[in-house]
Amino acid sequence: MNRVDAAMPETGEGDNDDFDMVLDPKVQESIGRSLKAHYDDIVNAPVPDKFLVLLAQLEATEQRAAGASTDERN
Amino acid sequence: MSATETAPRTTERTEAQAKDFKDGLIREIPNLRAFAASLSGSMQLADDLVQDTLLKAWGNSDKFEPGTSLRAWLFTILRNTYYSLYRKRGREVQDSEGTYAERMATHGNQESHLDLADFRKALAKLPEEQREVLIMVGATGLSYEEAAEICGVAIGTIKSRVNRARTKLAELLSIGGVDDLGPDRTSAAAMQRVGSEIIGS
Repeated sequence: MNRVDAAMPETGEGDNDDFDMVLDPKVQESIGRSLKAHYDDIVNAPVPDKFLVLLAQLEATEQRAAGASTDERN
Repeated sequence: MSATETAPRTTERTEAQAKDFKDGLIREIPNLRAFAASLSGSMQLADDLVQDTLLKAWGNSDKFEPGTSLRAWLFTILRNTYYSLYRKRGREVQDSEGTYAERMATHGNQESHLDLADFRKALAKLPEEQREVLIMVGATGLSYEEAAEICGVAIGTIKSRVNRARTKLAELLSIGGVDDLGPDRTSAAAMQRVGSEIIGS
């Protein structure tokens, strides 16, 4: 809830210190909502099949390799 | 007593371990895509980046410490891959095709569509060191500590970058026009004053 720590001015990156100002909490809130909307929009998008296919192939390759190391090599 | 003296790990993972790791990767794919798109500004590049990340993660799965955050570990791989291989390509793709902000279909409702497109254009204009940390702490659920570790900088630097990113976004989006935030004119007016100071600096 308390976002004061996030809004504290920092001087860690010495240049351009006038950017280290405290934003209005309502503005911060608005930006926070937009950030989540942007991110969640992609998170909720359908995942292309190619990723699942890739992982299934990697797994199958590993299982074959594990099998080959216990069985006789062909 | 130290971690290195615990039971020796077999070099071959068991099938069950491999399956757990694979399930973890599958669960993180949507987050990896969203982070990659935020970094590269392109959904097509993002998916290439995610594919590279999954391949590297699989090949280095023995380096992942169970019990630690898989998301943070994967983001570190993705981010390193982006900066070493994709950054330049990202700029080229954006130059020729525009950013995803201009092309991407959104899955939200129609009303929020325009706002989201505007926000993405503004987000794409942030310096990438600010954009990446703003996304990490503002949208992914990663902590400041995790973001600091992923970026290899101090927590204070993360906080500073987040603060600058928010201020810059507010400026780019012109939040502070008197009616932009609804009826609370006091805060809007305060922001307008801040905004004009930024522009004037």
